[in-house]
Amino acid sequence: MANKRPPFWQREKYTPYLLLLPAILAILFVVLFPLLFSLYTSFTGYRLIRPETLWQWVGLRNYQRIFSNGDFWSAFGRTILFLTIALNLELLLGLGIALLINKITWGQRTLRTIMMFPMMFSPILVGYQFKFVFNDNIGILNNALQALGLSDGAIPWLVDKYLANFAIIFAEVWMSTSVFAILLLAGLFAMPRDPLEAAKVDGCNPWQVFRHITLPFLMPFVFIAMTIRSLDVARAYDIVDVMTGGGPAGRTELLWTMIARVGYDNARMGQANAMAYVSIFLSIAFTYYFFTKLLAARKYMGGAE
Amino acid sequence: MKTTIKTFLAATALTGMAATSLAAADVDYGTFDGYNLRVKLIGGAQYEPLYARISEWEEMTGATVDVLSRKNHFELDREIKQDIAAGTLDWCVGSNHTSFAPQYGSIYIDLNGVIDEGTLAEFQPLALQNSTVDGRLVQLPRHSDISNLYYIKSMFEDADNQAGFKAEYGYDLTPPETWNQVKDQAMYFADAPTFYGTQFVGKDEAITGRFYEMLVANGGALFDDGWNPTFNSAAGVEALNWFKDLYEAKAVPAGSLNYLWDDTGLGFASGTVALNLDWAGWASFFNDPENSKIAGDVGLVRAPKGSAGIRTGWSGSHTFSITATCDNTEAAASFVTFLTSHDSQMVEASSGLLPTRAKVWGDAKAQFAADGNDFLVTVFETYAVSMEEDAFTPPLITPWIEVSNEIWPRLQAAILGEMTAQEALDEAADAARLVMEDAGYL
Repeated sequence: MANKRPPFWQREKYTPYLLLLPAILAILFVVLFPLLFSLYTSFTGYRLIRPETLWQWVGLRNYQRIFSNGDFWSAFGRTILFLTIALNLELLLGLGIALLINKITWGQRTLRTIMMFPMMFSPILVGYQFKFVFNDNIGILNNALQALGLSDGAIPWLVDKYLANFAIIFAEVWMSTSVFAILLLAGLFAMPRDPLEAAKVDGCNPWQVFRHITLPFLMPFVFIAMTIRSLDVARAYDIVDVMTGGGPAGRTELLWTMIARVGYDNARMGQANAMAYVSIFLSIAFTYYFFTKLLAARKYMGGAE
Repeated sequence: MKTTIKTFLAATALTGMAATSLAAADVDYGTFDGYNLRVKLIGGAQYEPLYARISEWEEMTGATVDVLSRKNHFELDREIKQDIAAGTLDWCVGSNHTSFAPQYGSIYIDLNGVIDEGTLAEFQPLALQNSTVDGRLVQLPRHSDISNLYYIKSMFEDADNQAGFKAEYGYDLTPPETWNQVKDQAMYFADAPTFYGTQFVGKDEAITGRFYEMLVANGGALFDDGWNPTFNSAAGVEALNWFKDLYEAKAVPAGSLNYLWDDTGLGFASGTVALNLDWAGWASFFNDPENSKIAGDVGLVRAPKGSAGIRTGWSGSHTFSITATCDNTEAAASFVTFLTSHDSQMVEASSGLLPTRAKVWGDAKAQFAADGNDFLVTVFETYAVSMEEDAFTPPLITPWIEVSNEIWPRLQAAILGEMTAQEALDEAADAARLVMEDAGYL
């Protein structure tokens, strides 16, 4: 008697798919459906306060409007600039902190814990903290500068075109540099000692050791950190919203503050989702770039391809 | 003789108290044993004292109140919009505001016929009229807002200032009657970065509102009868230049464009600003030695006039609304009636919030006089006149906040010198026209 074939869900070749099914379903419901739904709404005149407008198909009108809007492109460019400056500064400072902490032999754990403090604050609190620091009239920074005789005027930190952008980047860098520091420190801990010692024996100076051994080894960690940060950097929305609200006169407007205003205050969720899709593609572009760099760095180090 | 007066005062106070408690007992708030009323309220220091009374209503009616949120108005607005979108309006009473109400459509019921007619008759007609959208009374006014001009008295009494000002501007230094005088005085008093002539809120609907009232005071209007934007008129340019000139002269703090109400209130209380247009709710704070460096030195005049001889008077009311999806409208109506009752409004009036019931104005003033608080008596007298004669709301239209969001960034751009007042207003008018077209008004 021929063996009866088991039902398809018991067949070996389907087993991996069955095991993955819960994860696939979870991703489907939690990520894919909301994404598809918001993509759909970006082609509608959906307004939050008029649920029936969800079915009002407007084609590419939302996209045409935002692409022909100068304010949108300004916010777009400013967001790229913000991402580039903030992420690179965080990398440089994080790398410096990680290298310094790696040298410490006593109290390292305590310092590592202290270093993580800024990450523990919610971005809203960080926003309020720096709003107060940078306040022109009662803020501690201006008061300190005046007390030290370094300035005799009220510097408009949150109003001036350059200073306001500096202030929000400063707050963002303060909050997130430790993410880089921790990831790079983990990289330094995992680093084999042999090549370093060999280099020293060969007479390399500290800069050469750093440039040709430590840094290439750290690059995969750098790109992992960059990838993670480029995905969650939009958390800076809270900081900017509290500190400047994207103003004055749109001087610190980023895509995220613009999306929130259009989506909630103006209740134009369809148009906001069209902007959000542009923002998503921007994030994907950054992530893709860092990911290819990561693969290249690992290949260079002889790791997985 | 002294004893007699004291006895008389005590007796009067007792009579007053008895009358008050009688009034509270007179109203039947109904019985809703075991019912759980779900509400979303505006939170913040000024609004909390009233909520301490909620337990009284719970005891009287047997119901319990579940406060689902207690946020500032802008956050509450977002939450309510999300509730509308998600179809989760499973609560009964929400805090509302005359500026916000028109955008919510029909989620709130018409309170005519729901709230007792006799009760409604005790409210000021203008407050009820401003709470009406498309003929429906969608909200019950809790307290009203309008701004008047606070100033540091000693600065106006100082002989050197008086002589110096007259020499420079050619007329006497007295509390201002027009906005042009405010401008002159602010420029005269300013000594940045340690002292400023005046200040203004610089972003969001706050600066739109301040611009709007100045526009009206100069004889302009936001829209014509057909809802075409008309604020880019000569009156609008004049209004915007008032802000711009003060900013450029450094007569206001450099960070003004990032200021909201707390910043201006705290700034004036810090004693570094000579003139401050502000709400009545700040009056007690300004005159409280624990919070304010200018306590005892605060003067108040009615909001000045613009070039058309009209006083500024941007006004609105904080209100309560009942959702159409509420499962116990009767309990909700009882609750909002209680929170806007005579006693409740007396609680709010004691901190300077302006009542919406006609009788509370007189009673609160009598209370302040009895307590020897002459300052609050003056405050209530001044605000009573401005509420009666000067108050006007923004247009009660659905896209008001959206129109405002098109206006204020351009006002900021002009004030910062990125464009002229005319260019900024022309651009804002074009953007506002688009919003009005989308909303079906044009």
